[in-house]
Amino acid sequence: MNSKKNDLKSLELTVGDVFSKNARLKARNVNVFYGENKAIDNVTIDIGSKEVISFIGPSGCGKSTFLRCFNRMNDTIDSCVIQGEITIDEENIYDKKIDVVPLRARIGMVFQKPNPFPKSIYDNVAYGPRIHGLSDNKEHLDNIVEEALKRAGLWKEVSDRLSSPGTGLSGGQQQRLCIARAIAVSPEVILMDEPCSALDPIATAKIEELIHELGNEYSIVIVTHSMQQAARVSKRTAYFHLGKLIEVGKTKEIFTSPKHNQTEAYISGKIG
Amino acid sequence: MNKKIINPEDATNIVKNSILKRRSKDSRLKLFGRVAIGLAVCFLLFLFYSIFTKGYPGFFQYYVTLDINFDRERIDPKGDLSDNSLFDGDASTIVNESLFSVVEPKGRKEKKLAKKIVSSGKDVRIAKMVKDDPSLFGTVTQVKFALDDDIDSFLRGYIKRETPESERRINDKVIGFIDKLNEEGRISYEFSDYILSGSASGNPEMAGIKGAFIGSILTLSVCLLIAFPLGVATAVYLEEIAKKNRITEIIEVNINNLAAVPSVVFGIMGLAIFISIFGMPRSIPLVGGMVLALMTLPTIIISSRAAIRAVPPSVRDAAYGIGASKLQVIFHHVIPLAMPGMLTGTIIGMAQALGETAPLLMIGMVAFIVDIPNSVLDPGTVLPVQIFMWADFAERMFIQKTSAAIIVLLGFLISMNALAVYLRKKLERRW
Repeated sequence: MNSKKNDLKSLELTVGDVFSKNARLKARNVNVFYGENKAIDNVTIDIGSKEVISFIGPSGCGKSTFLRCFNRMNDTIDSCVIQGEITIDEENIYDKKIDVVPLRARIGMVFQKPNPFPKSIYDNVAYGPRIHGLSDNKEHLDNIVEEALKRAGLWKEVSDRLSSPGTGLSGGQQQRLCIARAIAVSPEVILMDEPCSALDPIATAKIEELIHELGNEYSIVIVTHSMQQAARVSKRTAYFHLGKLIEVGKTKEIFTSPKHNQTEAYISGKIG
Repeated sequence: MNKKIINPEDATNIVKNSILKRRSKDSRLKLFGRVAIGLAVCFLLFLFYSIFTKGYPGFFQYYVTLDINFDRERIDPKGDLSDNSLFDGDASTIVNESLFSVVEPKGRKEKKLAKKIVSSGKDVRIAKMVKDDPSLFGTVTQVKFALDDDIDSFLRGYIKRETPESERRINDKVIGFIDKLNEEGRISYEFSDYILSGSASGNPEMAGIKGAFIGSILTLSVCLLIAFPLGVATAVYLEEIAKKNRITEIIEVNINNLAAVPSVVFGIMGLAIFISIFGMPRSIPLVGGMVLALMTLPTIIISSRAAIRAVPPSVRDAAYGIGASKLQVIFHHVIPLAMPGMLTGTIIGMAQALGETAPLLMIGMVAFIVDIPNSVLDPGTVLPVQIFMWADFAERMFIQKTSAAIIVLLGFLISMNALAVYLRKKLERRW
């Protein structure tokens, strides 16, 4: 908490309870620019430990951009400039001393389009533990892969064909494989960027169920277009509009009694 | 009447009527395409036909069979089979005596003419035979000798009997000797043992492409070993690591320009830098390979960059997202996925390098080199330069040798490409 004044300033902008009691990730007055373009405008929010929080909002509101700030995926974009402070367990992730490699091992990510590596199912899951040296031997690695696939609810479907290509699975299975790949490096937080937007309703239901279960183990931030999905999987919801965080609150409250008129307009389908 | 949107029934009819016209346009386009491909195939077949029919006889030549008395005293006077001893020996005379016993020349002048029938490599051949098999000593064995190139051309019908004697390269006496040899069945047309195992020679009947072939392999190996890693590394650096700014832009433009620079310019550059400044010897495959590497680098860099750019960003995201470092992303994901494309560029570059003559002329690989190079530091030449040189010689027989060398060059090219395609297919896993 660097300055109380700043917190208050952002409170003026955001309705609802941005702070969390056992916060794991803290974003304070974050601004993101793409060149001249301001994509995120002074956002402050806490993400609690073992909490599922969803970011909702109309297309182009900056929710994905903001999500990618948490594991510094925006670093790969040259024109992207980030101001403000994001901390994980009180450690500023944009500090010069922080190396992105271990950071991304702590904060895993699942992308919008399932993107398994063009390798076998086994190698997809084993890749993370391998590069980070998380396994002592082959047996240990096998166990990690099995455990990750089990947690991702994919083990039963693929246990007999671990050496077949990951890209040969169905869309929903691929996405669960990506989740297993993220879990395999034992992250503390999992960021999910519209993980179901490319999937059919049945696959979506499976992923949602999975997110629900994983919420007991990890902090999960999920960006979604679907308000129903947000309502189904998350305990807290944050509504973004034009780069600003408009309202944060318990999911139930956001959907039943939004405090901000913009949130209400979005929920009721007037904008978006 | 104002034009309005047409009602559905009329629209259906109009579409129905126009469909025939569209169909015929389609089929006309198809026809044009087929004609174009057909023409291309015809030209290709004609090209191959003419090269093979011209080049095929180049692999064969006429031989004369003579009974040679392997007299050790005369062939190997010191009796130790050393090069020195065999050189001092008198093998040529033995061959000539055997020849004279068949064609029976009268007087010094005729003997002189008869001597020329057999190619001058006869003593070398006998020396080689006794070295390989000393048990030949003391026997009388039939040995085949290549005929002189003029005789060869006569037997092939390029030099005609009807031509007045004064305008022929061989006179009536020699024709008489040949007829005599022919009557005894001593002349045969056989697969040449010089074309594939011989080297550059002033005597067309003894000229072969082995030296140039080995030279080509050595030169291309040097070229590949330098250009491929350097090109791939450059492409990876420019695409994945370097920041996009003015300097990288200038570098990019210049690489593209380099790809269009005439190859002879690279030769001059090689001459100026490698030979003049670094003082490396002329005519060696090492320098040739380095010059060709300079020439192929832009091709490899450009195609490698395209291949890297074609790697889906989602794979990069996935790897970065899991905490892979830049180097791990490059080596575990980008390069393996881009490798088939990189190899394609390399094949194209190597094929260019294989057929290149001009830059190698500049660094002296055009020299007349009889010895077959054993390493990249031995003077040598390459196939296209050999072809270039042979095409320049006056003797009739070199025409066939040139065509034969072209066939070998094409064969080399095709097998090289086949290998590369095989490698690419093996690496390319479409998942």
